[in-house]
Amino acid sequence: MNNLSRRAFVSFALASTSLLAMPAISTGSARPKVVVVGGGAGGATAARYIAKDSKGAIDVTLIEASKQYYTCFYSNLYLGGFREYDSIGHSYDNLSANHGVNVVHDWAISVDSSARKVRLGSGATVSYDRLVLSPGIDIKYDSINGYSVEAQTKMPHAWKSGTQVKVLRDQVLNMPKGGTFAMVPPPNPYRCPPGPYERISMVAHILKERNPTAKIVVVDPKNKFSKQGLFMAGWEKHYPGMVEWIDNDTHGGIKNVNPETMEIETDLDTFKADVACVVPAQRAGAIAMNAGVTDGDWSPIIPASMQTKADSNIYVLGDASVASSMPKSGFSANSQAKVAANHIRGELTGSKVFAAKFSNTCWSLVATNDGIKVGANYKAGEEKIEAVEKFVSKTDEDNAKRKKTYEESIGWYNGITTDMFS
Amino acid sequence: MLVFRGLVAEPLLEGADFDYGEYLSGQCLTCHQNSSDEGIPAINGAEALYIAKKLILYKNKELENEVMQLVASALDKDEIASLAIYFNSLEK
Ligand SMILES: Cc1cc2nc3c(=O)[nH]c(=O)nc-3n(C[C@H](O)[C@H](O)[C@H](O)COP(=O)(O)OP(=O)(O)OC[C@H]3O[C@@H](n4cnc5c(N)ncnc54)[C@H](O)[C@@H]3O)c2cc1C
Ligand code: HEC
Repeated sequence: MNNLSRRAFVSFALASTSLLAMPAISTGSARPKVVVVGGGAGGATAARYIAKDSKGAIDVTLIEASKQYYTCFYSNLYLGGFREYDSIGHSYDNLSANHGVNVVHDWAISVDSSARKVRLGSGATVSYDRLVLSPGIDIKYDSINGYSVEAQTKMPHAWKSGTQVKVLRDQVLNMPKGGTFAMVPPPNPYRCPPGPYERISMVAHILKERNPTAKIVVVDPKNKFSKQGLFMAGWEKHYPGMVEWIDNDTHGGIKNVNPETMEIETDLDTFKADVACVVPAQRAGAIAMNAGVTDGDWSPIIPASMQTKADSNIYVLGDASVASSMPKSGFSANSQAKVAANHIRGELTGSKVFAAKFSNTCWSLVATNDGIKVGANYKAGEEKIEAVEKFVSKTDEDNAKRKKTYEESIGWYNGITTDMFS
Repeated sequence: MLVFRGLVAEPLLEGADFDYGEYLSGQCLTCHQNSSDEGIPAINGAEALYIAKKLILYKNKELENEVMQLVASALDKDEIASLAIYFNSLEK
């Protein structure tokens, strides 16, 4: 920062002290109140940073439906046999013990944005000065003909935190010899762009060891995907002939899925599977819809603060937001949470508000010790979060480099979960 | 801030601002924690000058690693100094 911009910061901070601290005072409560809905990558990080950095000056309540958060990140590694299921589960105990966050395990049912109150499943209401919503995604079950809530036991999506990924792993382990695993990835935009292709890699890894004559067919509603060249080269190298990826132009569109007959019908052909992972289209978690801060399926935000365009008292983080050019990832949600936390603290306590900076890196595991990554850093543009610089792994990297990339991802997993839950 | 421990005279750390370092560290803490050490070095409590010098090496692409080159490329001298004194203040 040069001297000029430092002065600009100071005067801005002073302005925000006098003007913006008022709403908190006007509520009449001793401390300004922040309510965070959803204790995932975005929400747990936001709750922890607001509580930690305000050193008790802000009253933080985290509303999270589950007692234990199972990360979607690394759930593919569980699927592939690289992690124990228990190792991807995290509790909220430290957020209350170490930072005084008031953790309430319940569903947020509705938001009354004019009264600034959130209603919970128990019937209780919690009032807020600022509300942070990081509810992740809901699955659009009706986006694929024949798919439904009931279909998910037969054709699990395993795209939300929880035990569906265990069902999927059991199905893959028990697949008939020489059988077919079918994957239907979701259309854009969706949570974790490289996720479906890492999942295919992990299934291939199991099948290569246990069921080498089995086949994988990917019926994609897209014509291209994240890290495509890297994944396809990896599949050829580690699992030659096993994975067939069929793009939308080739199969002409997914017409129907049938969980009884395990068939996926397209214009071109009907694919019969022994095990199928079907991931439908997605949208922002219901509470964002209810709060009236969505436009279509997602919640538009102001890049500089993560405030919603619809309501400046409500911030939306992570998958539920329209944060393009950032991908919907846990890393992105964690990064956005810190920008929001800094802004909220500034508004409620008059602390300095610094310019938004975001970053993301997504690692994927293609096979044992073969890790790849893609990343970028971002700044707040007027309308969009804009990428500043990017990198992506190269196809010709040697084994040592790929192993190091995988090891880095283990460091990151431990790092981000500490950053969310310690 | 007294966290400089007498290093204020060091030109590499001159523009340091502790609060700004705390804010900027958010970007790093996704990866760098004491718990990340298996694959990503823990830098909590490291000497400020050590951290600043490493960041400059990544910025100048004299040290390999895509993520760190990317991270450091976006940092100016004062930001590097701010991060260095902030991480120095954290517990190992
Ligand atoms: C297979 C797979 C692999 C992935 N791999 C990676 C990876 O390697 N790296 C990466 O960065 N990202 C990865 N992701 C993406 C990552 O999981 C998400 O982007 C991230 O979790 C988004 O964070 P979030 O805070 O938006 O939502 P979430 O983390 O989903 O958190 C939302 C939380 O809100 C709670 N909730 C929702 N509604 C309510 C309500 N009304 N009341 C109370 N609680 C509520 C939910 O219980 C949940 O705990 C992966 C995803 C998948 C599916
Ligand atoms: C995406 C993960 C990631 C992020 C974000 C990240 N780093 Fe790093 N950092 C790494 C990795 C991996 C290494 C080790 C590189 C190597 O040895 O090849 C590293 C190395 C370093 C080192 C050298 C440590 C040593 O002892 O050699 C310093 C200092 C450092 N990072 C500081 C930072 C700072 C400050 C930030 C935030 C502005 C940051 N890093 C953000 C992953 C990250």
